[in-house]
Amino acid sequence: MKALTIKSSILVSSLFLLAACGNGDDSSNDASGSADGEDEVLTLKMFSADLTQDDPFDNAVAQEIEKRTGVRLEFSYPVGGDDQEAIALMIASGDYPDLIYGKGGLNQLIDAGGVIALDDLIEERGDNIKAMYGDQLDRLRRSTEDPNIYHVGTAGVENMYLETSGTLRLQMEVLKELGYPEINTLEDYENALTEYMEMHPTNEDGEPWIPMSLSGSDWHWLITVGDPASAVGGIEGDGQWYVTDEGEATYKFQRPELKEYFKWLNGMNAKGMLDEESFTHTNDTYVSKLSSGRVLGIADQDWNFTEAEAALRADGNEWNLWAPLPVGLDESVEVQTLKDYGFTGMTGVSITSGSEHQEEAFDFLDWFATEEAQILMNWGVEGVHYEIVDGKRVQLEDDLKNSQTNPNYSIESGVGAYIHPFPQWGSAAVDSNGQTIGRMGAEDIMAQYSDAEKEALAGYDADLWVDLFPATEDLETPKHGRAWEIALPTGSDVNVIQQRADDYTTQKVTEAILADPADFDGIWEEMQAELESMGIEKANTQMTEIIKDRLELWGETE
Amino acid sequence: MDSSKSMDVNSKGMTNTKLKKIPKKKITWEAIKRQKLLIIMTIPFVIWLLVFAYTPLIGWLVAFQEYRPQNGFFDSQWVGFTQFQTLFKDSLFYTALKNTLGMGGLGLVFGTGTAITFSLLLNELRFTKFKKFTQTISYLPHFVSWVVVANLVTTVLANTGIVNELLQFLNITSGPINFMAKPNMFWGIVTGADVWKSTGWNAIIYLSAMTSIDQEMYEAAHVDGASRLQKMWHITLPSIKGIIIILMIMNIGNIINIGFERQMLLGNNIVADAAIVIEKYALDYGIGMFRYSYGTAIGIFKSVISIALIVTFNSIAKKTSDISIM
Repeated sequence: MKALTIKSSILVSSLFLLAACGNGDDSSNDASGSADGEDEVLTLKMFSADLTQDDPFDNAVAQEIEKRTGVRLEFSYPVGGDDQEAIALMIASGDYPDLIYGKGGLNQLIDAGGVIALDDLIEERGDNIKAMYGDQLDRLRRSTEDPNIYHVGTAGVENMYLETSGTLRLQMEVLKELGYPEINTLEDYENALTEYMEMHPTNEDGEPWIPMSLSGSDWHWLITVGDPASAVGGIEGDGQWYVTDEGEATYKFQRPELKEYFKWLNGMNAKGMLDEESFTHTNDTYVSKLSSGRVLGIADQDWNFTEAEAALRADGNEWNLWAPLPVGLDESVEVQTLKDYGFTGMTGVSITSGSEHQEEAFDFLDWFATEEAQILMNWGVEGVHYEIVDGKRVQLEDDLKNSQTNPNYSIESGVGAYIHPFPQWGSAAVDSNGQTIGRMGAEDIMAQYSDAEKEALAGYDADLWVDLFPATEDLETPKHGRAWEIALPTGSDVNVIQQRADDYTTQKVTEAILADPADFDGIWEEMQAELESMGIEKANTQMTEIIKDRLELWGETE
Repeated sequence: MDSSKSMDVNSKGMTNTKLKKIPKKKITWEAIKRQKLLIIMTIPFVIWLLVFAYTPLIGWLVAFQEYRPQNGFFDSQWVGFTQFQTLFKDSLFYTALKNTLGMGGLGLVFGTGTAITFSLLLNELRFTKFKKFTQTISYLPHFVSWVVVANLVTTVLANTGIVNELLQFLNITSGPINFMAKPNMFWGIVTGADVWKSTGWNAIIYLSAMTSIDQEMYEAAHVDGASRLQKMWHITLPSIKGIIIILMIMNIGNIINIGFERQMLLGNNIVADAAIVIEKYALDYGIGMFRYSYGTAIGIFKSVISIALIVTFNSIAKKTSDISIM
C-alpha cells in the first residue's frame, strides 16, 4: 500500500509539474495552494453517508457558514444508496476526504486507521464541544477496550419529543368523516378504513381509493413494514432487535408481536385493502401515489414522504395529509415512539488520518456546538429566513410557506440541512434568551399546522399530534440506547448471520403477507425453522454480550 | 480474455477456410535475431499485459487470508481455504449460482438466436435505405442505460401498464397479472429485457459477416432454382457459422459475469430468491460487510467457472466443427 502511495504521489506531482509548465503562473487560485489574500477559503472534503442528493454548498446558510468560519464543504455521498459499500471501497483504496460521517461504517474506519482519536483535540481546543456534551461525553467513547472518542455529532444532547414518526397513519379526511373516533388498535384502524370506503367508494375524480400502501420493494421495506411492526407491537426502536431491560437481545422476527401484526397485514391483503403493488412498485412510484391523495392509510417514517406532503399542501389538499395515530396490536399495547433514549450519538462526523487540515477541521466541528452556529443551522439567516420580533426569532411568512410546499426546501435554503450529522444541541435546548434553539418548539409546531390539522386536533381535544400518544415521561429510558446504532464487529457471527437473516426475513415475511391466510401460520413456522438453522440463537447470544459490554462502558451496570 | 478479442479480428477473414496445422518450429537464435524488431515492438504490450492483467492477480492471495486493511497484506492472518469452505457451505451461494447460470444461459441462447434471426431477415431486405434505417433504430436501445430500461419494463408490466390493459382488452385474462411479483417469471422478464436491448447491437457483427459472402454463390444457387429460404439455410448460415461459434465461445465464458444491475433494478423483495446473482452476493456478503477476503474468494471461484466453461465449449467446438480460439 505504501509503495503504491509513493508511486501515485510521484505520478501526481509529475502531473502538477506538467500542469505548471503549461499554465505558467495561472495556478495560484487553487484553494489548497499558497496563501495570497487574507479572505482565503479552506475547502474541506466531506463524505456524508446520509446525504442522498448532491449539495453544492451554495445556499444561503452554507454561504453564511463559509463567511463565518472560512471553511467551505465539498460533499460526496453514497451514489446508489449503500453507504457501507462506499466506505468499504474507501478503505480499500485508502482515499479519504477530510471529514467522514461514516454511520454504520465508523468501526471499520477506526480499525483501518482511517480516522483519528479526538480526545487530545477535545481537551486542547474543544471548549464548545465539552460544554455541549458535559457528562454525556462518555457516551461517545468507542468500547471498553478502546475508550477513545473518534466522532462527534448525530444526535441532540437535550431532546424533547413533540413529533412522532414510524407509526400507522390515516388521512385526516377519514377521521373527519367518521367524527374523530379513537383509533388505538389495529381493529379500530381497519374499521375506520372500511367504514369510510363504504361512505365514499371513490374520490372526487371517481378513482377508487387505495386503502393502504407500503413501500416494500427495496430497503424501504424496513421502514414501512419492519419498523411499523415493532411500533404497533409496543417494541422500542431497536432496529431488527428486541432488547429487554436486562440487555437480553432477541432477533425481532422471532417475536409473537410481529407475527400478529404481519398476520393482520395478511388479512388486509386478502380483503383487497392492501395496495397489491406494495412490494413491487419503486419508492418513487409509492411517493407519487401518496401525492395523488388516493392512499388513505400508510405506515412510514415522516421523512420518507415529505415530498408527498409538500405536493398535497401545494395543491391545497390538506385534508388528505395523514395523521399519526397511536395504533397498537390491542388496548394493552403502549406505543413507544415518544421514548427518550438518552443521548444516542453512537456515530458521527470523524476527522480522517490523511487530512492535512485536522486542526482546522476540528475547529470547524467545534464551532457547530456554539450558540450562533446552532441558531444559523436551525433558523437560517436573519432577514432571509427569520426576523427578530420582541427579542425572539420568528420565521418569515414566505419561508414558512416555502418550507411546507417545496420538496427541496432543506437543500435549497440550507435551513436544517447541516444539523445532522454535525454536533447539535437538541430540540429541548434553549439559547441565552430562553428561546428553544430548534425551530420546532410546541408553539412553532402549532403555528405550522394547517387549518385542517388544527381542526382535526380540535376534534380530538389536543394541541399536538403527540398528545394522542403515551407521553415521554411515562416511558422508561432504556439503559442501552438504541440497538441499531451499535456497529457490529466485522465478519463476526452476529454480523454475518444478521445480514443473512435480514435478507431472508424481508423476503419471507413478504411472502407470508401476500399468501392465502390459511397458509400464513405454515410460512411463519417455516421461517422460524430456517432462522434456527441459520444460527440465529448464536447471533442472539453475541448481541446480548455486545449490549452488556455497552452497559458496562456507559457505567449503567451496578 | 483480452487476447481472445484480438483473435476474433484475425479469425474473421479465415473462418471459411479450415485452419491447417502448422508444424511447430524450434526457436533458434537466428530466428530471434531475424525478428528482433518485431520482438522489440511487442515489448510494450507485453509489459502492459503483465502490469495490468497479471500483477493484480497477486491480490488473489487475499482470498487465503483473513484480510484486514489496518493490518495490511503482510500482517493479515493466513487461513488457507476457510473462505472457500464458508462459501461452499452457504445455501444462498448456490441459489445465486443457479440464478446466474440460468439467466446468463438464457441470455446467451436467446440473445444469439434473436440476433442471428434478425440479421438474416435484415440481410434479405432489398431497399438499402430502409435496411440502414431499421438497423440504426434496432441498435439504439443498446445505448439506453439499464436504469431507464428497468423503469420502462416495470411501467409496461405494471398492473395498470400497457401489457395488462392489452391482455384484458383482448379478454385473454380477466384481471391484471402482477408480472413483477411472480418469481417464476423473473428470469423470463430479465431475458426479455436483455433481448430487447441487445438484439440490434449483436446483429451488427453477423450482418457485417454476411456482406463478405461471395455474391456468386447466391447467383449460382439462383440458377439452380433455390428458394430464398433455401439460400438462407444453405449459403448464408454456413458462411457465418465460424463467426457464430467464435462469438459463442467468447460469450459462454461470460455467462457467469452477467453483472447485477438488471437483477437489482428489476428485482424486489418478492422475487428476491430468483433475482440474487453471484456478483450481488459478492457485493452484499463480501465487500459490503467489509469481508474483503470473502469477496475475493467469490471472484476467484467465478474465474475458475469461466475458464472451465470456455475450455469445455472450445473443445466441443473444435471436435465438431474444427473451429476454436485456442
